[in-house]
Amino acid sequence: MKLRATVRKAWEPALWFLGLLLIWEAAVRIFAIPGFILPAPSVFMLRIVQSAPQLAYHGMITTKLIIYGFVAGAVPGVALGYLIARYSICKQLLYPIVVFIQGLPKITLAPLMLVWFGFADFPKILLTGLITFFPVMVDSVAGFQSIDPRKYYLSKSTGASWLQTFLKIELPSAAPQIFSGLRISIVVAVTVVIVVEWLNSKTGLGYLVLRSMDGKDTSMIFATLVVGSLIGVFLSGLVQAIERALVPQGRH
Amino acid sequence: MDPQKNQGTGASIVARDITKIYGTGPDAFHALGPIDLDIKPGEFVSLIGPSGCGKSTTMLLVSGLEPISQGHVEIDGKPLTKPISEIGIVFQDHLLLDFRTAIQNVMLQQEIRKLDKADMRSRADALFEQLDLVGAEDKYPWQLSGGMRQRVSIARALVHDPSMLIMDEPFGALDAISRTQIRHDLEMLWLAKRKTVLFITHSIEEAVGLSDRVLVMSKSPGRIVEEISIDLPRPRPAHLGEYPEFAVYAKKIYTIFEKLGVYNF
Repeated sequence: MKLRATVRKAWEPALWFLGLLLIWEAAVRIFAIPGFILPAPSVFMLRIVQSAPQLAYHGMITTKLIIYGFVAGAVPGVALGYLIARYSICKQLLYPIVVFIQGLPKITLAPLMLVWFGFADFPKILLTGLITFFPVMVDSVAGFQSIDPRKYYLSKSTGASWLQTFLKIELPSAAPQIFSGLRISIVVAVTVVIVVEWLNSKTGLGYLVLRSMDGKDTSMIFATLVVGSLIGVFLSGLVQAIERALVPQGRH
Repeated sequence: MDPQKNQGTGASIVARDITKIYGTGPDAFHALGPIDLDIKPGEFVSLIGPSGCGKSTTMLLVSGLEPISQGHVEIDGKPLTKPISEIGIVFQDHLLLDFRTAIQNVMLQQEIRKLDKADMRSRADALFEQLDLVGAEDKYPWQLSGGMRQRVSIARALVHDPSMLIMDEPFGALDAISRTQIRHDLEMLWLAKRKTVLFITHSIEEAVGLSDRVLVMSKSPGRIVEEISIDLPRPRPAHLGEYPEFAVYAKKIYTIFEKLGVYNF
């Protein structure tokens, strides 16, 4: 019974997805939609197979940037979230700046990054970090603030050092909220990296999309988007797997 | 059985004129004192009084968890200057860490204090045995009943063999039946180890049922208005009414509460 339920849970969405692709395929054929406007799934799927080495090469570069950018945003996000939640002086000093930067449409900083830092990876990682930083920071503040203040009495009564309190009480207490920020950020990071690659790259999926657009190669755009979306699904699955491994299920 | 005869390994607590004022200027709130305390090593002392009388504040001051506004405290003859770690605390709501299993919550003491793991684990197992927690070791707090959570919390407060145990309404959130049982289990543990216990409660039955001495407090500002020595044999029964003296002690506390205006019948 349980096995059947699990199989159904996995197969039902897959079948539904396959059905949608079939409808798409049929629609393109029946209405004879030109390939440069909307390619049939069979066409861009074949394209993925044909261009596999190229897609893999650029996909790896994009994935690397996503991970670097995500880490560059998440680590300071948790750290700053902790400082703002725990020390009122940090809150007073940092919060106005944070609110201002949060209001800024950060993707528009991309040309500025280009001017300052050129075409290397650094400006892309920096911008991705800047954007993924906010969801993580906001949720970290909420997570660290929601710790029952009496847990600090407990920690003092054990003679815990600052580091022990942080690692054994504060960080794991705030973990569910921190992970909800991380789950949002990883998906955002995929988009940001691809967009930034439009602007200043000779590599990566964003570059591939742009080059395909110039060549009116719509099926390659679709093939690239499928790869991008697979990377996004994989990375957010990875974040959720880490969460399941670290945070006991059933809390709250 | 006279508890004074059995000198324990507990700490002595001496407090002189301790006062707690929260805030400053016109917003200052005089929460407690000045009060004096003289608690002998291994003594079981309850603080009882209406809400807001500074019972919890007293507990935080004598353990160094909150700074004292005036006065001073000595633990085992040494002036208190920072939070003492030779201590176990139990709060009304268990305060277990919900990302740790029951045994991991208890072993937090071992991890932070860097004590011997095997030794502490066997101490934890013994406490789980005594507190009727066998089988709950690998359960998370949310998988345990309220009574069991509080038992785990007591095990966590005792596993490192502190000289002093402070308990802030530890049974306040439990149903009457669990409360009577856990009261007895706590008494048996205390009889075996003779740690100094400072026990905060709203319940006259708990105070009389457990203590060597009950300190009755009044509110705003919190002061100790009466001190009652409880001379009843131990271990004390589930039904305290078996002792005619119980009614006398209870009556005494009720009378003080009535005088203080705690009750208005």
